[in-house]
Amino acid sequence: CVCACLSSLTLSLVLLYKDNSLSGENTVSEEMLAEEARKKSKEEEAAAKERAAQRQQLAIEELVQSERNYLRMLQICSVDIRSSLQQLQPPLANLDRLFLYIEDVMEVSSRLLSLLDRRPSGEPQFLQTLCDSFLSLSSDIEAAYKEYLAYYNQISIVENSYKQKEALWNEIVRIIKASAPEVNASSLSFFLVMPVQRIARYPLLLQTIQKHTDTSHPAFKLLEKTALTSIALNCRINEYKRFREVADKYKKTETLTIKDKINRLNPHSIAKKTARFSQQLKHETGIKPKLVDEEFDAFEGFFNILEHGILVLLENVETYLLHLQRFLDCRTEEFDLDMDGEKSPICYKEITTALRQWILPTFEKRMRTLIHKPLCALRDLLVGPRNLIRKRLDKLLDFEMIESKSTLSYDEQAVANTYRTINTLLLNELPRFNGLALQMIWSMLGTFSCMHKDLAADMEQLFQSFAQQLPHSHLHPSAFWEWAESAVLESAKKLQTVCQNVEDTLNAPVVQPLSPSSQRRLKQLTDKHGSGKIYQVASTVVGSRDLDLNLARGELVAILSEADTRGDKRRWLVDAGGRRGYAPSSKLIRYHQAMEDPPPSPHLIVPLDVTGKRRHSYTPESQPMPMRVVRQPYFQVIAAYDFTARGNHEVSLRVGEPVCVLEPYDKRGNREWSLVEAISGQRGYVPSNYLSMKPVEARPPGFVF
Amino acid sequence: MSVTSHHSFCLSRIPFKIGQPKKQIVSKTVERDFEREYEKLQKLEDQTKKLHKDMKKSTDADLAMSKAAVKISADLLSNPLCEQDQAFLDSITALDTAMKRMDAFNQEKVNQIQKTVIDPLKKYSGVFPSLNMAVKRREQALQDYKRLQSKVEKYEEKEKNGPAMVKLHQAKEELRPVKEDFEAKNQQLLDEMPKFYQSRIDYFQPSFEALIRAQVVYFTEMYKIFSELTDQIDQGGLTDEQRQRETEAKLTELRALSIVADD
Repeated sequence: CVCACLSSLTLSLVLLYKDNSLSGENTVSEEMLAEEARKKSKEEEAAAKERAAQRQQLAIEELVQSERNYLRMLQICSVDIRSSLQQLQPPLANLDRLFLYIEDVMEVSSRLLSLLDRRPSGEPQFLQTLCDSFLSLSSDIEAAYKEYLAYYNQISIVENSYKQKEALWNEIVRIIKASAPEVNASSLSFFLVMPVQRIARYPLLLQTIQKHTDTSHPAFKLLEKTALTSIALNCRINEYKRFREVADKYKKTETLTIKDKINRLNPHSIAKKTARFSQQLKHETGIKPKLVDEEFDAFEGFFNILEHGILVLLENVETYLLHLQRFLDCRTEEFDLDMDGEKSPICYKEITTALRQWILPTFEKRMRTLIHKPLCALRDLLVGPRNLIRKRLDKLLDFEMIESKSTLSYDEQAVANTYRTINTLLLNELPRFNGLALQMIWSMLGTFSCMHKDLAADMEQLFQSFAQQLPHSHLHPSAFWEWAESAVLESAKKLQTVCQNVEDTLNAPVVQPLSPSSQRRLKQLTDKHGSGKIYQVASTVVGSRDLDLNLARGELVAILSEADTRGDKRRWLVDAGGRRGYAPSSKLIRYHQAMEDPPPSPHLIVPLDVTGKRRHSYTPESQPMPMRVVRQPYFQVIAAYDFTARGNHEVSLRVGEPVCVLEPYDKRGNREWSLVEAISGQRGYVPSNYLSMKPVEARPPGFVF
Repeated sequence: MSVTSHHSFCLSRIPFKIGQPKKQIVSKTVERDFEREYEKLQKLEDQTKKLHKDMKKSTDADLAMSKAAVKISADLLSNPLCEQDQAFLDSITALDTAMKRMDAFNQEKVNQIQKTVIDPLKKYSGVFPSLNMAVKRREQALQDYKRLQSKVEKYEEKEKNGPAMVKLHQAKEELRPVKEDFEAKNQQLLDEMPKFYQSRIDYFQPSFEALIRAQVVYFTEMYKIFSELTDQIDQGGLTDEQRQRETEAKLTELRALSIVADD
């Protein structure tokens, strides 16, 4: 009974094993692998979350820390530097103008910091605090910064006036450097431009935090709102700046010239000139009424051109807006090359963020409201007159038919009256329409130009804050482009080298176990020619001459002759498993077989102590491996097998150990032994057939395998 | 078949995973470091490609926008409408000149960006296929190594008799070059991956500076050209609200005309 149990148990175990051995073993390992993979991916997720949390924390720290530094810089400028400047004799003109609005900016910044300092920044609720603080102060921030930015041009003007006097400017720079030695500042604008830069940085700083914050985070929505607020702030501040510019600058009377010209546009006098165009257009439309009313034709002609012009203009404006939208959609500032510590990518990101997120969108909005929308309205108004003109023509044709009659019926009278009414109406009002429409278009041109000017002004102000941060911004344009282009060329060369190295090492013959067919080829060739003659093709060979072979990379061949019939040593005669022909020697590399049996050690000929482990088979044809220098000078002699020294005149080697051959024969001239020097420096004899040559790839610097 | 022989048959053959060696070839920390470095490179590859694509699209849109602006003024200029009034013609001509000049600057800007940003981005992406292949090759080498290692271990467990010793020796010989190959590849990649990753900073720094500089030049020109033009053709001193009011006034006047009303 026990026997039966045992046997059935073992039988089932056997069956279990058999099942497992066929496919189940794999299932067991598959399950375990899957389990491991799941565990691993969970670990990875956790690690990724951890990293994101860290980055978020860093971004938050960055915002707080940079605010602190910023305020400190402003304080140095408005307190230390200012007081030193005030003591200069003779007193500096307009000094107060430089510091007119900085106090407000500093005040709002310190209020922000004190709100932020209420909580330690490492706490998880800090993000909430940050957003709340920013949002609560946003209207004050706007109020302070908009005045500062609107006034900044004046600051530049004052500073430039100081720069005119060299001695004075040198003194100022000295004061600056003395007050802030740790900062590389050489002008007042270095400090004074900071608010311009700071307000534009908030969106990017907030968006960076947002990028590393999970949507499930409790403060995420608030963070989103804060980031959007920071952008809206910048929009409004820029708008205000423009408003102030316009209000301050244009108080002169001469700027009314264009307005006068537009208003003096006289459609009546203009219309006369358009008669010929009107005829041209009539030609094209195939309409040629018999009754020629020159004045009307002129107005109508003008209207036709106007209509055409408006439609084309509207189409062009819409195309323009389309491409503008496409440009806004490619958010090139959103890359992450893990270079957030480097100045130039960060500057680029800030500039592009500003351009794409509020400067250009403002431009687009103005384009739509000031140009596109009115144009659309104007186009819609074209319908009425167009229809009326057509109606007049119809009535005219009717009128022509009855005109010659001396007496008209009642109905015919009605037709005549209708025609005359429409004609008069159009004659009166069409020129007015034409004129007003033309005035509108003319004004739009000015608006279009002004918008471009404002766009450029916004960008220029933005650039000012970066001018000093970039290493090569002081270079003259041509010098800069020279540097940039040559730097790019250099980098391209280096990259090429890297690529080449990677390719080279990939192309090196990989010592991998052979495919069955290769193994068969190997056995066949080895049996026929001996293991010493086996070579491997390093890269594809395409034969070009008679008797040249085509060989695939990795193919194994046996060398029959190391020169061709004309003695050219670059062409070797090979046996490619039946096919015989020539192949370029530069593409053949000695193939070392892993399975070569160690050749008989000369020791065995002398029947001394035979140590246990080695069991040699006597293969009569195993030959001492020749130590000729092969074509490529990239070979190193190494020990192919372990060898234990049995006396003082021998040296022990470990397999793979590189050696230096001093003499390829022993004291009696016997080539079966060689005198070598090992790495250790020891010298002694080893069996020559225990040495082999290993290919060593040329290693250029850089990427090496 | 006796029970005993089955018994020993089973027990000695409860398997470990075939093909997986017992000896740990690559330590977990090294493997993790390798993976982390490779992941960084993969992310770099993705981001480089994305930036390249976005840059190309952006410059295409930029060029198209500039050409559209030129068309606005060119079509107006070719319309006989503008010949009606000398002052009007002057305004349109001035606008057209300005637009054409801006387009020329824009083209120059785009050319510079092409040379210093877009082309380098593309070249940088071109290294990754080779790198990825190298990592694949290392992985292949690792698999071969593991396979042969477990084979050696398998033979080492067996009884030490004549033929077994030979097989063991052969297996060891087969293992040796594969092991060397893997170790070489592994070490090289471990050395070079971080180096290459680090090289991105020096590589791209000129590109970003060039991008910024190109735009500075462009917008500086834009400001000069359009300041002048605005002084010439714009009714100065208008805010957006004032402009809108004026436009609306004209539209109202137009709408008041009888010929406009749809009857």
